[in-house]
Amino acid sequence: MTTQRIVLPRKGYRGWGPRLLILAVFLYVGVLVLAPITALVNDALQKGLPAFQTALNTPQFWQSFALSLEIALGVVAIQAILGSITAWVIVRHSFPGKSIFNAVIDIPFAISPVVVGYMLLLAFGRNGFLNPLLAVFDFQVAFALPGIFLATLFVSLPFMIREMIPVIQNLDRAQELAASTLGAGRWTTFWRVIFPGLRTALLYGVALTMARAMGEFGAVLVIGGGVQGRTATTTMYIFHALEERQYVEAYTAAIVLGIGSVLIVSLADLIRHRTQH
Amino acid sequence: MKAILPQARLKARSPELGLRATSFAFILVMVVIPMAVILQDGFKEGAAEFWRQVTLPVAAHAIILTLWTSALMTVINAVMGLLTAFVLVRYAFPGKAILNAIVDLPLAIPTLVTGVMLVILYGPQQALGLFLNQELGFQVIFAPPGIVLALLFITFPFVVRTIQPVLLDLDQQQEHAAATLGARRWTIFRRIIFPALALPTFSGSLLSFARAVGEFGAVVIVAGNIPFKSQTAAVYVLGAVESENRLAASAISIILIAISLAVILFTNYLLGRRRGPV
Amino acid sequence: MNKRFAALALIALSLALAACGQSQPDDSDSTGGTSADEVNLVLAAYTTPREAFAEIIPLFQASWLAETGQTVTFEESYQGSGAQSRAVVEGFEADIVALSLEADVIRIQEAGLLTHDWKAVGADGIMSTSIVAFAVRAGNPLGIADWDDLAAEGVEVLTPNPATSGGAMWNVLALYGAALRGHVDGVPEGDPQAAFEFLKAVLGNVLVMDDSARDSITNYEQGIGAVAITYENEVLVGQQAGTDYELVIPTSTILIQNPVAVVDAYVDEHGTREAAEAFVEFLFTPAAQEVFSRFGLRSIDPQVAAATADQYPPVADLFTIDFFGGWPQARENIFGESGVFNRAIQEVQGQ
Repeated sequence: MTTQRIVLPRKGYRGWGPRLLILAVFLYVGVLVLAPITALVNDALQKGLPAFQTALNTPQFWQSFALSLEIALGVVAIQAILGSITAWVIVRHSFPGKSIFNAVIDIPFAISPVVVGYMLLLAFGRNGFLNPLLAVFDFQVAFALPGIFLATLFVSLPFMIREMIPVIQNLDRAQELAASTLGAGRWTTFWRVIFPGLRTALLYGVALTMARAMGEFGAVLVIGGGVQGRTATTTMYIFHALEERQYVEAYTAAIVLGIGSVLIVSLADLIRHRTQH
Repeated sequence: MKAILPQARLKARSPELGLRATSFAFILVMVVIPMAVILQDGFKEGAAEFWRQVTLPVAAHAIILTLWTSALMTVINAVMGLLTAFVLVRYAFPGKAILNAIVDLPLAIPTLVTGVMLVILYGPQQALGLFLNQELGFQVIFAPPGIVLALLFITFPFVVRTIQPVLLDLDQQQEHAAATLGARRWTIFRRIIFPALALPTFSGSLLSFARAVGEFGAVVIVAGNIPFKSQTAAVYVLGAVESENRLAASAISIILIAISLAVILFTNYLLGRRRGPV
Repeated sequence: MNKRFAALALIALSLALAACGQSQPDDSDSTGGTSADEVNLVLAAYTTPREAFAEIIPLFQASWLAETGQTVTFEESYQGSGAQSRAVVEGFEADIVALSLEADVIRIQEAGLLTHDWKAVGADGIMSTSIVAFAVRAGNPLGIADWDDLAAEGVEVLTPNPATSGGAMWNVLALYGAALRGHVDGVPEGDPQAAFEFLKAVLGNVLVMDDSARDSITNYEQGIGAVAITYENEVLVGQQAGTDYELVIPTSTILIQNPVAVVDAYVDEHGTREAAEAFVEFLFTPAAQEVFSRFGLRSIDPQVAAATADQYPPVADLFTIDFFGGWPQARENIFGESGVFNRAIQEVQGQ
């Protein structure tokens, strides 16, 4: 056996191999992710900073942003509660068909938003399956707020659940048992023992859900109608601004939406790291 | 954690039936019913008509375009995602934290914005797009390469983030042992590291495939949407919905759902084998 | 760490507060309605007359206020004509629809939502007209003069998707009609097969098929394509917005007639019939027609049309949908599943 140079794969060592790989990755990420973002920012500022500021102050934009926010918060509230419960049931319970139940939860993640909007239209539209019921209550779903709310709820379904499952799995059941042997009722056990362990995951799930909800486009387009002030979310605003040749307004709104989403996720990430380390 | 006192277990189960019922109801209303509605609508005029809609040349082409662009994207994503995860975990270099943060960016950017950005950057009116088009005869926007690019952007985090934790947890003893035995870096990677990462790479890739098949927001801006040339299945469904072609819309939607479901079930099965029942 | 956290939290919070602070309070939770001195009208329109309505609506609001003391607010939605018509049928409770083609209004009629004789209102229910024309780059570098230039090798054409856009349907009808009528070089008159081949040739040059006429022309403005088949009106509005392109009118083209109508089912539900009907009638008055003509639409009012004659050159061979036997026939024969257009697209891409 010829003597080979012994190389230990420790971090930080230099050779042409690793350098090339790092360079390749930077190049890839730069071209794929950074370049388009830079182009967007560049075009938003193409007419100068004052135009950018004026675009920021457009009332319709903030109206649509408020609507997106409103819907996202509502969705988050429901997902936080019902999503957590579903995650709990998946981890702690066993019942026939559980693996299918588990898979069903992932469906919204992969379904095209257009299909989502269409499904809701089939169910709640004027000729819809559930329309007779809605007509009784004079409650409009399609082309109104409830419709886009439901659509957003659907597409963000998996995020909270998938975040909660691993954390619930890792809970120390000994503590729960100890609490119950000490006489704690179920609610006390939950609130004092279980919940603190879930807090961070819940927060991260909230952040992901919010980001996803605010960025929804396809489903809202089909079921919403895009009526300014009523069903025009930020994404619809951007879409319409592009149509009206208001490019600076569109790109500015896109940047705000992007930054907002990134901020939310970064915040949650930060919290998660702080509590973990 | 299965060794729990039987009494505690029984006690835990009964009040939680309420929880189970709640979660069932939630999933039923949110997922199962809409799916049932669309299934019923697609097969309203029989299985033969359903199949006819799916095999209409324009629909079939859309489905095939969707599948191959997603598949191509998945392969690229698998390779580059693995590379990125590897670089992020195993090496230290300036700008590493920034790179790590950038990986998550696509998740936070709305798909519509992604499409808009790509058109700004690669559109024919820009220097870059013009150059690619005229000098290299390569059209990015309003052609399949644009679709692949948009999908790559959107699903970039999936593979990276699936591999990273596994790589972080990897016990490097084996690698050290191999090195002392004289194995070269590439051999170590090929024989020791990669097999451990094969599963997360695969499952992350499948996830990005499932996601890509249904993508709409970015694709509709970037693709060109010409039937038989650059129209994906999701965009075709939109056209069908908006032109009163309910049967076509439902039928193709069902196909899309079936594909995604199949991929997800398969991925879960793979992960289940590894980790044990969830 | 603490500082970074605080900073991020602060930014997120201020963003949220800004949103709440700057947004207009959403008055109407209901889908349109009326009170003693306020009425809300929902207008569902196709994409082209957006700018025109932006001017006409305030005029109507002032006139209605003066006449009845009632304040009328508008909620507008603009999207592709077909998509819009579909939305109304599926439950978008629009009081008034202003669409690109009669067929889209007929669809609403067939759904039972429109029950009056809308053609008896104003000028046969048509609020404005335009023609199918081409948008070419400044200076017309490719020398596009007529339909046959669009089939030339390497000419990149933009036209929207007929599935969603009414404008796209007008485009195809104009092209096919001109060919059938013998006004395309190289295509004998009255020869459907030759006209079909010509359609294929042009479709083969299409680069992007957008959802709506407006999307198509804005894409064109971004530098995409060499020539866009579009409404004459879109080009004129674009030019007004400062875009640097030219209008080319072919020798033979179709007269685009845009209908407007009150949607009976919804106005009765909202109690807005009076205001809605008044608005539709207002659209036929010289005041509104004058606005339409300023935004590139050919007026149906003879006086206004005469006054703006120099802006709108006559077309050598102008035909209407009647050449195809009316909209129902046209939709079936040209845009049906085995219609001319779908067969053409199929054969083109199959090559």
